Amino acid sequence: MGNRIIRDLVILLAIAGVLFVGGYFMVLEINKSDLEISYQVSIEQEEKLGDMLKDVMVSDYKVIEGNLADSAVQEITNRLLAAIDSTPYRYEIKIIQNENINAFTIPGGNIYILSGLIEAADSPEEVAAVLAHEIGHAEKRHVVTKLMKDMSMTAIVSILSGGDPSVITEVLQSMVGNKFNREQEMEADKFALQLMEDAHIPPKALARFFERLNDKELDYNENLEILMTHPHNSKRIDQARKYKTRNNFKAETFNFDWEKVQKSLE
Amino acid sequence: MMFAAVAIGLPLPIINLIASVIYYFVNRKKSRFIHFHCLQALLTQIPTTVINWVAVIWAVTIFFTERTTTEIFWAYVIFAGASTFLYFVISLVAAYKARQGKMYYFLFFGNIAYQAVYKVKASDNTQSTEPVNKPPF
Repeated sequence: MGNRIIRDLVILLAIAGVLFVGGYFMVLEINKSDLEISYQVSIEQEEKLGDMLKDVMVSDYKVIEGNLADSAVQEITNRLLAAIDSTPYRYEIKIIQNENINAFTIPGGNIYILSGLIEAADSPEEVAAVLAHEIGHAEKRHVVTKLMKDMSMTAIVSILSGGDPSVITEVLQSMVGNKFNREQEMEADKFALQLMEDAHIPPKALARFFERLNDKELDYNENLEILMTHPHNSKRIDQARKYKTRNNFKAETFNFDWEKVQKSLE
Repeated sequence: MMFAAVAIGLPLPIINLIASVIYYFVNRKKSRFIHFHCLQALLTQIPTTVINWVAVIWAVTIFFTERTTTEIFWAYVIFAGASTFLYFVISLVAAYKARQGKMYYFLFFGNIAYQAVYKVKASDNTQSTEPVNKPPF
């Protein structure tokens, strides 16, 4: 009798286990299909979409070009891109005049960094960390995946074929207020840490920037995509802090005066 | 009764358990047959409530802390949903059988309820302790 009850209990637990494991694999399958979703949009389509959004960006926001800050950001970007083996994108990084501490990526490898973030960064390495993170979102095709989830493929095709300008603005707004999911953020962080190491930039800069944001040392925009919408994101800080560089890792500092770079934005 | 409890209990899983407890204490003295089915329903309601409560508490915790969900969380939500659905379907079958006057045994809980209700105690003087049909053991 007792054995029967134990047998029944084991069967019940086995059923529960099967349901849980089945659920887990189902979730994995759904997440895996994120990448498959992104493949529905080709790189060419993404670049075309990026160009259209870029035009709206340039007309709606003040882009800072030709000063010390711009050349510093380009130098940081070049260092990072040189460390990537191959990329389907032709990256364009622009500074936008805005006091918020933020950066975001739009399709086609177009990254925008707000002047407030450069002013808030303690060092060029911190800006490099943010850029590496944004490059991570582009390389992992998070931007397109999010777009495909927010809008249908039909809407994207309609935009590409010269669709309604109001839809383009809507897309752009969704990109600016980008909120990726935790897995995507972790993946972009991981990519950034590796890229920084390969580019001889100390990966710890990412953790430092996170920590300063988390401690509210900086009065950051609450929509700051890089730290998502909530400060209790200790796992990401942990991942950045615990990242181990290779034994032969040698950091190479940037050859510009960071204070002068920041002053060039005033 | 069960359907009402399920409908109310979806957002607040404790309602189902409270309903089962009340139902059990109100009906258990009617007959052994009813006592058995009420107890079995109550016992099966306990893990279902716990499973659903964990899902609710987990979701609320996420909402007030990290606001991002993990794969494990969603796997648990699927597990909780599937378990509740399975329980609901089995309950339907049980209700149908009980209505016909037949006994229906849930896995594991059926045995426990049977032991509790039909077990002949030394102090029992009644002769008619045998059920119409016995559980599958």
